[in-house]
Amino acid sequence: MDRRRFMISASALAGAAAFGLPRRANAAAAAAAVEAAKKYAGSEITIVWEAGLQSLDPLNFSGPKWEKETGIKVKVIEVPVAEMFTKILQEHRAGTGAYDALNVIPSWMPDLVRAGALEPLDAMVDQYGFREELQNIAPVYRDNQMTVDGKIYGFPDDGDVFVMYYRTDVLGDPAIQAGFKAKHGYDLPVPPKTWKEFDDVGSFITEHTGGKPYGAAFFRESAYGNFMFQERFRVEGGKFFDPDTMKATVNSPAGVKVLKDWVAENKWMPPGVETWGFVENLAAFLQGDTAMTVSWPPYGRWAAGYGTDQEALSWVPKSTIAGKVGYSTPPGGAPQLAAGFALSVSASSKQKEAAYLFIQWLNSEEISLERVQLPYALRDPFRESHFTSEEYKSRWPEAPQYLAALQAGAVSGLLDLSIIQTDRYEEAVRQAISRLWAGDDPQAILDDVAKQWDALTDRIGVDKQKAAYAAWASKPNAYPHGA
Amino acid sequence: MSALRPPFADRNFKYLMIVPAVTTILLVGLFPVIYTLILSFQNVDMMFEDTSFSGGKHYAALVSDARFWESLLHTLIFLVVALPAELILGLALAWLFLDRMPGRQVFVALLVLPVTISPIVAGATWRLLFDNRFGPINQILGWFSDEPVTILWTVDPFYVYPAILAAEVWQWTPFMFLLLLAALSNVDRSQIEAAEIDGAGFWRRFTKVVLPAIWPVMAIAILIRALDLFRLFDVIWALTRGGPGTRTETFSIYAYILGFQQFETSYTAAMSFVVILLLVISITIVLRRMEIDR
Repeated sequence: MDRRRFMISASALAGAAAFGLPRRANAAAAAAAVEAAKKYAGSEITIVWEAGLQSLDPLNFSGPKWEKETGIKVKVIEVPVAEMFTKILQEHRAGTGAYDALNVIPSWMPDLVRAGALEPLDAMVDQYGFREELQNIAPVYRDNQMTVDGKIYGFPDDGDVFVMYYRTDVLGDPAIQAGFKAKHGYDLPVPPKTWKEFDDVGSFITEHTGGKPYGAAFFRESAYGNFMFQERFRVEGGKFFDPDTMKATVNSPAGVKVLKDWVAENKWMPPGVETWGFVENLAAFLQGDTAMTVSWPPYGRWAAGYGTDQEALSWVPKSTIAGKVGYSTPPGGAPQLAAGFALSVSASSKQKEAAYLFIQWLNSEEISLERVQLPYALRDPFRESHFTSEEYKSRWPEAPQYLAALQAGAVSGLLDLSIIQTDRYEEAVRQAISRLWAGDDPQAILDDVAKQWDALTDRIGVDKQKAAYAAWASKPNAYPHGA
Repeated sequence: MSALRPPFADRNFKYLMIVPAVTTILLVGLFPVIYTLILSFQNVDMMFEDTSFSGGKHYAALVSDARFWESLLHTLIFLVVALPAELILGLALAWLFLDRMPGRQVFVALLVLPVTISPIVAGATWRLLFDNRFGPINQILGWFSDEPVTILWTVDPFYVYPAILAAEVWQWTPFMFLLLLAALSNVDRSQIEAAEIDGAGFWRRFTKVVLPAIWPVMAIAILIRALDLFRLFDVIWALTRGGPGTRTETFSIYAYILGFQQFETSYTAAMSFVVILLLVISITIVLRRMEIDR
């Protein structure tokens, strides 16, 4: 964008502000970032991004576009998500300045801030007039995934939230509905609103169809199961710790119930579901082998066939269920926000301002709306304007319902646990899940988890961890509303 | 005459010549060990770089770290099962390929292929083979049992060790095979024939003539593989990540998780140092018993 266009945009901003047209105001943050970044033309900034589809955003779209508009090259450092935390911290420790901008999973943010790896962004947010646009990020992300101790360290940039997908043709089948009512004595709920209803519906479909399709399937592999456990445990009324003593309460009856329910559910889910991850579950749902599932937002887009003809998505099985998928929040109505990404600036970067301007531009209303509609890049809607975008709603016939489900999740979504050294606590949960599939007793498994959590808390320091937990638990979406 | 001796004839000159090599080895080999030892008495973790002396608290904590001792036990189980399996299979294959046969070189080249594959790739490939939904192993077993087989190879505690060992033995038996084939090829045939004429049976010929001849090479092969197995990581990481729970977690996996995922740097250093000590003691004893240090 040249100076003349910038001036036009700036004038438009003033006019829009006067007439209360936020769409116009939104163009300004992107334009301001571009204009300010031009002084760094000819330089190169690096950004850490999750390897795979996620990276196609900066590689194919935003990186080249930014370079065209500012003259700044973007070098994308692709890192598998499991190694991102390690690489970011290792680089910070080494102090090489190799990374300028970062993708950070919000639950890591407190640990990275305590380690000094992230740059506080408040001053630059004010300098480049981004604060107002930040307010338009959906509340659950804005209020929970942006700040540590009151300071901004990252811009929530990915509306990761679990969504329930269900086959409208299967759940709406009159024969299945009649049989269900005869067996359970109540109308088949479309979609199920509680886990009890979900289990009733799922098991009945498997029984009625003989497994063609199965009533439901999930990813049960422990890395994914960790997120599902955190959600369901809290939906069942569980609390992670006693806030007064910081003793782990993960082995409460709520936790045991979740694990027992999981084992029972596997009996009517496809054989071998215990090992399923993202791809196995996706393939089964898209091929019509399962009637319900819970997963991240891309499932919904791909199930509708949105963008799956592109080369980057050639590995996604062809959807046989387009037009037959309904979307809702998972049973319990409080979906896990399950990872997500925020954009941050590395404290050891030697080009902090250029890096900041790039992430402001990426995260702006104008550019982020384009990015969340890239069918291959896995960034999910996270701004109010994304959920209400007429352009997005026109992408496929059921897109309005899809966006409505995401918007509902962005109100009631549950935060990933985020305390000091969260990953160590989560690792115990991941191990617990793999032990569950190995046949160990749920109560014994969770007792061990609680023991490991208590030992960790002692090691870190009860008071320190208690303060971190209190800060996390006080956030509006740490536990289901009213819990 | 002595005045005319060139400087390189000086008795100290030979030491001068090896200084660069020794210095390099010390820097590359000894420095990390010393640094690890120093780190183990400090308090460096994810959040803090407290380099003050913290006593032996990490070593004390290790004593009661059940996961550490279990990981060592798992490592030993893999070592004790995989090493003999690779040795026996490698030896049998080498014996088989000792005689000339059509296409021998092609078969040998094919047999050696698994060694050329990166262990993490081999592990990922075996994971696909063992996959419950798409993997061929369950499907092939299904043909024999006449019903769908849904063994969860990487989850079921009964099958998880055989699955890892199958991948490990598949990849590294060819290494044993290659070394032992070379050793067997150099055994003096006339001695074997002489023993045969004297009425020695196969077992006697093998233990009294062949084994002593190939022993130096075999011992080195065993030692190399034992050390490799002690640091076993890739295949297990790709197949089970140490699960279910920590049932297949080896020392290397535990050290990686603690050191590079959870940044318990000083504690991991203490753990590594204990293992280094255990290894040095074990190797010294083994070398003495094998009598190949002479």
